[in-house]
Amino acid sequence: MKILVTGAAGFLGSVTVERLLERGETDIRLFIRPGPKRGKLDQLIAKYPRAQVEFVTGNLASAADCAKAVDGADLIYHLAAGMSGAAADLFLHTVVTSKYLLDAIVAEKRPIRTVLVSSFSVYGVADLGRGGRLDESVALESHPERRDLYAQAKLRQEKLFWEYREKHGLPLTVLRPGVIYGPGAKPFSNRVGLKLFGIFLHLGGSNPLPLTYVDNCADAILAAGATPEAEGQVFNVVDDNLPTCSRFLKDYRKEVEPLRVVRVPYFATMWMSRAVERYHHWSQGQLPAVFTPYKTASMWAGNRFSNAKMKSIGWTPLVPTEEGMRRAFASAKMQQAAS
Amino acid sequence: MTSPPLKVAVVGCGKIADGHVEEIQKLTSRARMVAACDREPLIAEQLCTRYGIPGCYSDFEELLEKEKPDVVHITTPPQSHMMLSRLAAEAGCHLYVEKPFAMNANETRAILAHAQSLGRKVTLGYRTYFDPPAVAMRQLVAEGIIGDVVHAESYYGYNLAGQFGSALLSDPTHWVHRLPGKLFHNIIDHLLNKIAEFVPDDDPHVLVHASSLRPQRFGDHRDLLKDELRLMIYGERVTAFGTFSSHIRPVRESLRLYGTRNTAHIDWDMRTVTLEAAGSLPSAIGRLVPAFSMARSYLREGMRNVWSFARNDFHYFIGLKTQLTAFYDCILRDTDPPYPYRNIIRVSAMLDEIFAQADQGQSLEKLTMERTAR
Repeated sequence: MKILVTGAAGFLGSVTVERLLERGETDIRLFIRPGPKRGKLDQLIAKYPRAQVEFVTGNLASAADCAKAVDGADLIYHLAAGMSGAAADLFLHTVVTSKYLLDAIVAEKRPIRTVLVSSFSVYGVADLGRGGRLDESVALESHPERRDLYAQAKLRQEKLFWEYREKHGLPLTVLRPGVIYGPGAKPFSNRVGLKLFGIFLHLGGSNPLPLTYVDNCADAILAAGATPEAEGQVFNVVDDNLPTCSRFLKDYRKEVEPLRVVRVPYFATMWMSRAVERYHHWSQGQLPAVFTPYKTASMWAGNRFSNAKMKSIGWTPLVPTEEGMRRAFASAKMQQAAS
Repeated sequence: MTSPPLKVAVVGCGKIADGHVEEIQKLTSRARMVAACDREPLIAEQLCTRYGIPGCYSDFEELLEKEKPDVVHITTPPQSHMMLSRLAAEAGCHLYVEKPFAMNANETRAILAHAQSLGRKVTLGYRTYFDPPAVAMRQLVAEGIIGDVVHAESYYGYNLAGQFGSALLSDPTHWVHRLPGKLFHNIIDHLLNKIAEFVPDDDPHVLVHASSLRPQRFGDHRDLLKDELRLMIYGERVTAFGTFSSHIRPVRESLRLYGTRNTAHIDWDMRTVTLEAAGSLPSAIGRLVPAFSMARSYLREGMRNVWSFARNDFHYFIGLKTQLTAFYDCILRDTDPPYPYRNIIRVSAMLDEIFAQADQGQSLEKLTMERTAR
């Protein structure tokens, strides 16, 4: 069985490739963008001389490159996505690329099982209320224009995949991970807070932080691909024993660096968000609407998370959260020292 | 204003289109966004969704036929400007064409001539020309405070690790790689348009030095892209230097204008216009005082900026808003466009000369040999 991994050189992609090799997969194709990021993958692959690993270098926004990537593949893990940048860039690298990939899959005229790595950000959580439980039954965001650009792009991407499944019968499984963390990732999710003018605004308070360690997340992706019953299903991916944002921040300050922290309670964040949004409108955008009540309700109201459905197909997070945080902080500390 | 608002459409829904739409939507008495178009429907859709634009198209001719806009903003890469501007002008639209205006001076002349023959007005994406410091500087010149301009030095800093620079370097198929002047072609309009208004010659002498300081890391044509440019421009009475740098920090945008009475320094990042202090007092005192004179000038400019901020007049795209106001007014009142066509053509001709001298068409092997030799 030939397995295609898009976004293979990325943070999650490279670990997913490693887990595939560890599991003994021997026919793997990696789609990567042109550039110097292949080195880590080469080192990894060298440890598995039996595996046939093929690189396809190109741009997923090219029909020809997508056709090359999909040719002969039996299972696709679609991880490639834009992570930051202007709206047009994010949509190009997340949504348009997905469309070209889907068109290439359809053009193969055979069922190719596809696992899409989506995101928690596609959920419409603003109306859940504080402490509301976020599981797979929660509806998709109905006001994408009120969310940040990343959420908008991921939502449109996921909808596109469901549209193609509906229209072309594409065998599809969607995974929605929470905050993927681990060595090499940025140390903080915005759910914990934001660095602003040299101060860390701690906005997450005692909210549970929906972490998933990168290896655990990669295992979940592979489990979804290996389970026929997962077809047509959505799975949230979060680990067990989730820390609160406060606990995460406390450990980070202890293990990595002392930060100047200002704790902002939820009601104050909401008040500030209303003020920022009003000023943004009144001044016709002189300052960006970084905070709005809707974004605040989506990000910092605080939800409870469930991984029961993911566990029902045999997935277990092998790296405990304590150990994952230890590894992530040790890596962050080394990066700090290097810089 | 008694005329109904102009119906405005945007073709090309990339990054810069956001800025256009935001400013158009502020000018409610003059203009109304009716449609956006991109050949990639999903890119058109994201712009229309985020800004509530009613008409969303992937076929420009269909947009023209159905929406019948009065003005079209062409915010696509320059390879398509000629074709799109022709279609729009023939459909009765006035044109805002983003920089770079065209692929070369011949195309520039053709676009302008065609639009003029049909009675359409044209302006181009020189928003910094309309930013408050540029307007203030022009006022200083008009009032004779600078005296006769003798020399100008234009500086434009660029960050290749920024949003656009990283998109360009990470994608070997990016449209900038297919421009005759590559990165320079997309950027140095900002450098040149500040000089062009003070060097009035039709055909000034241009000398160019172009190089690349970043390490070669791709092994393909992206390594051919040069990232440093120095210009010397000789007019009959006025000379100018231009510096484009991707490596000097901090990244800034400025102009120093040397006149027979005063020298002005215009900083687009700080939004300040200051005159160089002259030492009028004798001896050591004469060397002590000018620093305080300069400090006072910056304090005054800073306070002016605070006042602008308080009046909601300190947006990033304030120059674009000013330009659009002037452009839409020139359509509604049938007056001259806000940026002279002659300067559009002169800048375009200078660009042709610069790109020819910058010679970015050399082979990778030759480039590597040159570097090894150095």
